[in-house]
Amino acid sequence: MAGGVCIADCQYWETYLGMHCRLHELRNRERISVSAASKYLSNLVYSYKGMGLSMGTMICGWDKTGPAVFYVDSDGTRLKGDLFSVGSGSTFAYGVLDQGYHWDLSDEEAQELGRRSIYAAGHRDAFSGNTCNLYHVKEDGWKFIGNYDISKMHYEGPGNVPGAPGGGYGYDLRVEGRSSANPPPVAATA
Amino acid sequence: METSFAITGKGYLIMAADTTAARSIVKMKIDEDKIKTLSPHLLMAYSGEPGDTVQFAEYVERNIRLYQIRNLYPLRPAAAASWIRRALAESLRSRKPYSVNLLLGGYDTATHDPHLYWVDYLGTMAEVPFAAHGYGSYFALSLLDRYHNPEATLEEGLDTLRRCLDEVAKRLVVSPGKYKVKIVDKDGVREIEL
Amino acid sequence: MSIMDHNGGSVIAMVGKDCVAIASDLRLGNQALGISSNFQRIFPVTDRIYLGLPGLATDVTTLHERLRFRLNMYTIKEEREIEPETFAHLVSSTLYEHRFGPYFIEPVMAGLSKTPSGGVKPFIAATDLIGCLNFAKDFVVAGTASTKLYGVAEGLWEPGLEPEDLFETISQTLMNAVDRDAFSGWGCIVHVITKDKVITRTLKARMD
Repeated sequence: MAGGVCIADCQYWETYLGMHCRLHELRNRERISVSAASKYLSNLVYSYKGMGLSMGTMICGWDKTGPAVFYVDSDGTRLKGDLFSVGSGSTFAYGVLDQGYHWDLSDEEAQELGRRSIYAAGHRDAFSGNTCNLYHVKEDGWKFIGNYDISKMHYEGPGNVPGAPGGGYGYDLRVEGRSSANPPPVAATA
Repeated sequence: METSFAITGKGYLIMAADTTAARSIVKMKIDEDKIKTLSPHLLMAYSGEPGDTVQFAEYVERNIRLYQIRNLYPLRPAAAASWIRRALAESLRSRKPYSVNLLLGGYDTATHDPHLYWVDYLGTMAEVPFAAHGYGSYFALSLLDRYHNPEATLEEGLDTLRRCLDEVAKRLVVSPGKYKVKIVDKDGVREIEL
Repeated sequence: MSIMDHNGGSVIAMVGKDCVAIASDLRLGNQALGISSNFQRIFPVTDRIYLGLPGLATDVTTLHERLRFRLNMYTIKEEREIEPETFAHLVSSTLYEHRFGPYFIEPVMAGLSKTPSGGVKPFIAATDLIGCLNFAKDFVVAGTASTKLYGVAEGLWEPGLEPEDLFETISQTLMNAVDRDAFSGWGCIVHVITKDKVITRTLKARMD
C-alpha cells in the first residue's frame, strides 16, 4: 500500500486495514483478495465522507486472479488499473512513468522506472522528497527492494542496482558539458 | 486549458502552443495562433486572460519592431526578454495589470545559441533550457528533466516535444486538441506540422 | 498563501573576523512547482558589498535594476564608491518610497566598511519590505526559511570566525535550514568577503 495527502489519516487507516486483512486470513484460512481489501478501505473511508478525511492510496497485491492494483481515495473512488500515481507530486511521476512504461517491462526495468518516477516527483514538487521506498509484489508476496535518498539519486544515481543507467538522475549532471550553441565551423586560416 | 511548451536544442529552439480559444464552456476557435514572431529570430508564446493576451502581444510586437526600425538591428533575445519583463512588472502595479504568461525563445545570431525565457504575468523571469506554461507543465517538466538533450538534433527535439504533447493528451482532463509548432534557428522562424 | 512565499527563497548574512559572508539558495518556484535551480538572488554591489534579495521574484529583478540605477547615480555624483552604511540607507529609502504599495522583498546586505585607520570593519544589515533597517552585530536572515535560519544560526554562530570557519558556519546554517523548508533549497551559493578578495562557492545541496 502507498498513500499520500493527509499522513495521519493514511497511517491510521492503512494500519487498520492491515489488521483486518490479517483477521480475514485467520478467520477464513485464506488471504484476502486485493479487490476485497481495497473495497474494505473504500467502504470505510466512504462512511466518513464529508467529515474531512483526506487520503489517496494504492492497494497493490497478488491473489488468485493474479496481480492487481487498486486506487482508493477519500472521496470513495475505487479504481482497478495497471498504472497509478498519487499525492502532490503525482503529476510529475506520471510524466516519467507514462513515457517509460511498456506492458512487458522486466522486473529490473519496472523497479528502475518506479524509482526514476518518484525521483522526478521528489525533485520538482516542493512537498515531496527525502527518501523513496521501493517494493516489488510478485506471486510469492511483496519484497522490499530498498530505500533510496532522492538527493543521492540526483547526484550519484540509485547505486549499484539492476536496471539503473549509472550516474545521477539530475538534469544538470546528465547534460553536463553539453551545449546548445551551434557556431559555424571556423574557416581554416592559412 | 491553455498549454505551451518550448525546448532548446543544438542551434535551434522549438515552441509549441495549443490553438484553442475558449470562452466559458465553449471552444470559440480551434486554429488560433498564440505564438507571435517578434523579430526574425525571436518567438513569443502567450497565454492568460482573454483580451489581455493579444493586446499585450501586439504591444510588444510593435515596440520590438519600432526598435528595429530605429536602430537597424533587432534586440537580441536577452535584451528583448528584459524589456518585455519590465513591461509586465510595471503593468503589475498599474490600475489594470496584464494577466499574460509568456515563453520567449530566440536564436542569438551573434553567439549562435538559442535562448529561452520563462516569464509569468508578475514579471518573474528565468532563463531555462526547456519550459512550459499551464497545467501541461506539471506533466511535462519532469519528463523533460528525463529526456531533454541540449545537443539533440531537430528530429530528436521534435520527438521530445511529441512526448510532452502525448503526455498532456493522455493525462490532462481538459487537454488541448491541436498545437501550432514553430522553430527558430540561424535561418529564422518557420512553422511546421507535427 | 502569502505573496512573500510565492516563489520561495532565503538569504543569510554573517559577520566574521575582518570578513563577512552572505549566502542564499537558488530555487525559483511557482508555489510548489520548482521552475529553476539557478536563480541568483544575491548581487554584487561594489567589490566589497553584496546584496541579497529574497521575496517575490519579479521584485528581485525590478529592485535589483532600480538599485543598480540609483547606485550608479550616487557613484557618478560622489565620484567614489559607496560605503555599506550609506548603501543600507539607500536600500531602506528606496523601499520606503513604496510604503503603501511595497516591493515584496526583504533585503539582506553584507559588506566591509573602511575604518579611519585604513582597516576594514564587517558590516551586515537587513530590512523588512518597507525599509525598516536592522543593523545586527552577528547575523541577519530573511526569506521563507527565516525562522529555521534563526534557530540554526543562533546555535552555530560565534564571534571572531576566520574566513574559512565563517564559510563552514554559514554553509551549514543555510543548508540545514533550507532542507527543513519546502520553498527554499535546490542548490546554494555562498560569498565570503574578505579585505582583498571575495570567495564564491556553490554548495552541493539537497535537490528535493
